[in-house]
Amino acid sequence: MKLRAVHRILGVLILILFSSSCASDLDYNQVYDIKLEPVFIANLAYFDIPADEFVTGGMEHTVITDAPTVDVFNDKFFRDNLKRVDLFFEVNNTINRGYRIDLVFLDRNNQPVHSTNFTVLAYTGVENIVTKTEVFENATLDLLKRTTKITFTLTMFAGPPLNENSTGSLKLRSGVTAYFVVE
Amino acid sequence: MKKIIVVFVLFLSVKSISQNKQILYNFTSVPQSLLTNPGSDVKYNWYFGIPLLSGISTNVGSSGFSAYDLFADNGVDFNVKLRNVVFSTTRKDRVVLNEQIELFNGGFKIAGDQGDSYVSFGMYQEFDFMSYVPKDIAILALDGNRDYLGKVFNLGDLSVKAEMLSVFHLGFHKKINEKLILGARGKIYSSIYNANSTSNSGYIYTIPSTQGVYEQMIYSDLQLNTSGIAKYDDEDYEPNAVKDITKRAFLGGNLGLGFDAGLTYYPKKNIQLTASVIDLGFIKHTKEVESLTFKGAYKYEGVIPKFSSGNSAENGYQEFKDAIPLDTLYADYTTWRPTKFNTSIQFSFEEEVSEDCNCLNYDPETIYKSAVGAQLFVMSTPRTPLVAFTTYYRRKIFNSLQMKATYTIDSYSYKNIGLGLSSMFGPVNFYVLADNLLEYKDVTKANSLSFQLGLNVIFKNSKK
Repeated sequence: MKLRAVHRILGVLILILFSSSCASDLDYNQVYDIKLEPVFIANLAYFDIPADEFVTGGMEHTVITDAPTVDVFNDKFFRDNLKRVDLFFEVNNTINRGYRIDLVFLDRNNQPVHSTNFTVLAYTGVENIVTKTEVFENATLDLLKRTTKITFTLTMFAGPPLNENSTGSLKLRSGVTAYFVVE
Repeated sequence: MKKIIVVFVLFLSVKSISQNKQILYNFTSVPQSLLTNPGSDVKYNWYFGIPLLSGISTNVGSSGFSAYDLFADNGVDFNVKLRNVVFSTTRKDRVVLNEQIELFNGGFKIAGDQGDSYVSFGMYQEFDFMSYVPKDIAILALDGNRDYLGKVFNLGDLSVKAEMLSVFHLGFHKKINEKLILGARGKIYSSIYNANSTSNSGYIYTIPSTQGVYEQMIYSDLQLNTSGIAKYDDEDYEPNAVKDITKRAFLGGNLGLGFDAGLTYYPKKNIQLTASVIDLGFIKHTKEVESLTFKGAYKYEGVIPKFSSGNSAENGYQEFKDAIPLDTLYADYTTWRPTKFNTSIQFSFEEEVSEDCNCLNYDPETIYKSAVGAQLFVMSTPRTPLVAFTTYYRRKIFNSLQMKATYTIDSYSYKNIGLGLSSMFGPVNFYVLADNLLEYKDVTKANSLSFQLGLNVIFKNSKK
């Protein structure tokens, strides 16, 4: 008699638990819809050249150049997931000579894929800043992704002669804003 | 890449709570309560568990979000739900999963002049998973750093561990006198696999700068230790997981030692105090170990042309990869088991003078019909310990049916109501324990659920 009662109580309790419980519909396949769209910012390049570096032993260097490796856009993750790149440049000249800065983006065969340039006037005591933002998408972005090197060429325009005691500097700051879409 | 993200999200989605077995603890009509306190005041002549069915236990829980929040089939874009979950949780929120199945379990009494002794033994398989929400890393993956100038992203938010192991145990308890029972249990752990990345640190920040556009710094001290997993990564290896798991489960894995201890004390006939410490132990991982490290520091300035020399060798990206290399190590390591501490106080009432009075016996379950009590549970985790407080009411409904109702407060929930029933049909003991009963109205929205059930054969005092 008692056993049957126990049985019944247990049965009813378990029945109540499971019949009153419910579960909303879940769809775990949704994880395949995942789409990450992070936007990262970073430095691209930087230099700050004092006026006296344009002079050695009284001789002016009117053209100086360097071609450092910049192969980050060529990385597989970037090639696959990068959807847009903004390059920001700011040139600040405090030397009393004008300059032209040429940037040539080269691929692995040293073929130019993109180029840009800035002309900045001689410093006359007022702030002398040139800025530029370039946006790379689709075809231009595909070219950027082939970049493995950037050639920086500085050309100094004619003007009052510089010497080892000349003041001021030519400064470039450049940043990247990289828009990813990872699916 | 996509695969990694999917796995990562699946990890996040596993729900879990701690390993608090608040209903089973000190519920002495169920023999498995000996596994939560080797000094439990049990009263059987002998028992054995029905193999594979004697103890099935799962705990799943997540603080801060539920499976529904992430996977509800409600037409909302998954990415929106993912963002909501990431931004509504904190680095302290966690996902825990624990599962145990007893392969065999048994025990018998050794009658003695001073007091009875009790031997219990068995083997169970256990799976543990625990992950904190890696909030800052998730924000970086979702949003990047553009909108977070000045924020220091904490790489230490990454804290995750998973382990499958089998446990062989042998316990002994002795009634020292009428008031005190002491118990201890030795354990041998055989780890089937382990993955462990819990002592991470590091940061990433980006702040505006006058030199360069930004000042960017990354410092990383990340390490993932694994054992028993590496060879599945090898393309030449033909996996035979069943054979591997069986072999490792039976002491062929990475071995460890552990210890449980507990006591039951009756300062008065109707007052009972208990305490236990469970899984004070470690596993030494020496076989099939493989660790990945991502350690170093780098200040990223971008490329800096060197006009004076004209041939700059500088390559910022390569420098970064060299400064913080991804290395693989094959060094032994030791993991500590999550140690659990339980304690309780119980007041019994409604004394019952039964016809087969065993008046020297202090067992509250046979001479008191009802009891109320409070329990405290503490478990070690990679960060701050997990604490849960339970009050309960225990009632003997019939001689063959015991009930324990619990109310538990912990970091997952403040409205956790649980119920346990243990019945005897002849020598067959069937028990079912479930908590968070209020959440059963929609289990997908629950932050934690635990469930235990099993079948045992128990022979009590034959004097009856």
